[in-house]
Amino acid sequence: MRRPGRGFAMAMPPMLLILGFVGLPIVTAGLYSLGHFGGLNSTTAAIGQHQHEATTWWGTLGAYTEVLSNPRFRSDLAATVGVTIVSTAIVMVLAIGIALYQRFSDSALAKGLAVLSIVPMFIPVVIGSWAILTFYSGTGFVRTVLAQVGIDGPVWAYTQTAVVIGSVWTSLPFAVLMVTSGVQAVPDALIDAARDAGASRARTAAGIILPIAAVPIVIAVTFTSIGVLGSFTVPYLTGPNAPAMLGVDIANYFQAFNQPQQSIVMAFVVFALASAIGAFYVWANFRSASGAVR
Amino acid sequence: MDRVARTLLGVVVAGLCLFVFGPLLWLGAHAFVSNWTYPHLLPDGLTLRWWRVVLDDPNLAAAVQNSLTFAPLTVLASAVICLPAAYAFARHDFFGRRTMLIGLFATNAFPKMGLFATMASLFYALDLMQTVLGILIVHVIGTVVFMTWIPAAAFAAVPRSLEEAARDAGARPLRVFFTVTLPLALPGILVAAIMSFLASFDEAQGTYLIGAPDYMTMPTQMYSLVLNYPKQVAAVFSLMLSAPSVLLLLLVRRQVMGGHLAEGFQIR
Repeated sequence: MRRPGRGFAMAMPPMLLILGFVGLPIVTAGLYSLGHFGGLNSTTAAIGQHQHEATTWWGTLGAYTEVLSNPRFRSDLAATVGVTIVSTAIVMVLAIGIALYQRFSDSALAKGLAVLSIVPMFIPVVIGSWAILTFYSGTGFVRTVLAQVGIDGPVWAYTQTAVVIGSVWTSLPFAVLMVTSGVQAVPDALIDAARDAGASRARTAAGIILPIAAVPIVIAVTFTSIGVLGSFTVPYLTGPNAPAMLGVDIANYFQAFNQPQQSIVMAFVVFALASAIGAFYVWANFRSASGAVR
Repeated sequence: MDRVARTLLGVVVAGLCLFVFGPLLWLGAHAFVSNWTYPHLLPDGLTLRWWRVVLDDPNLAAAVQNSLTFAPLTVLASAVICLPAAYAFARHDFFGRRTMLIGLFATNAFPKMGLFATMASLFYALDLMQTVLGILIVHVIGTVVFMTWIPAAAFAAVPRSLEEAARDAGARPLRVFFTVTLPLALPGILVAAIMSFLASFDEAQGTYLIGAPDYMTMPTQMYSLVLNYPKQVAAVFSLMLSAPSVLLLLLVRRQVMGGHLAEGFQIR
């Protein structure tokens, strides 16, 4: 069936929804961050404080220079990037490990491990975060157990460690599903051939399986890192007040501090970082699509 | 496998078990205890009175009801809006197809918190604040990626030869769709529906911004519970909030793990 008109029309409803309720707000927010206070921005601009109003036809970068030169923002940005990199790295090591173990072993343990790792997907993030907070708190399980053997355990609640633990916990299921699917798709014949040629499991994994599963792995990396980068619930409930993750800052500046323009500027900083990661995802997809026979 | 590797594997698996389930079990146990004094390994006593507190609180009951209404409604609305598009992405080639698929992805790249902050002024202008429609829009937006990408991959995976065979046998296009294409794509659509249900069930920040205080859902209520009630009450509420999702997990584990989710996230 090749009716371009009909296909285009069928694709429209979700596109219009996204354009109207995501695209339009992002564009008006962009204008607002540059100091344009008219139109849809008038409500926000009427109540916001410390705003930078446009001085030229295109606007002003006042809000951007203010936020970017703010030392508190800089340390929050560094913490956000740090937590994102560490969490993504841990998630990928676990996901690749679980996927490879499943590929090499048919045991019930391997299957059980895969099921186990997707459980957090079915637990609301608020609950997961709060459970993690109580588990690693001053009176939590970890310290209670260590106290039995006379060790004064660490308090991880309200630290960056708890944010990393929470981020890994919530991100693990998606990464495991993506990587497992990619690793399972590697043909048996290739793996058998490698084994016949005398390659060890480690060589087979590094030389054959992982390169073939590269695209799903890249997708897992992008979605994990973009998710952690803009996350709110996990750092809000489990993290320290300072340095805070930018997702928490965006909410605080918008509501508690009543500085919506600064909040929007931070959202665009996160957006810029996420877009850079996103470009990587699009590139990986197209590279694989151009090589595939359609 | 030698003994060292075996032991190492056991430690890793046990560690992962503790990492995933430990916090949930620890929290769940609090729903049944009167108090838990640090550093005692066992609680001071067992009780069910926290369940009474939750069940007797009309706000919490309303939140449960709201959540169980919004989630199915979101899945339905999202399916109506997105499934035709998913079919089009899979079976038609049209102007801007790939740009649109990537455009959907871009909605994931903008931080949710920032998006809700910027959405607020639009919602004020359209008079959508504190309305069911407003909340529904926020929830559906969070599901568009799942409801478009995953079913699109499922439709694309249906062999064209089967559809052609049915057409050769004299079936009309609509009949071919409903008797051949749709049943074969159904597992993928089911996965998309579950992901959408979970996304709606989990959505808190946008719902709070648009709906509070008139429409509180279970996750938005959870934020205030954590801050204002004893730990045990929040534990009871957590168990109740996790129940529908865990039930879903048990029902559909096979479909979700079958690769439908992963398939949907590769743009072609």
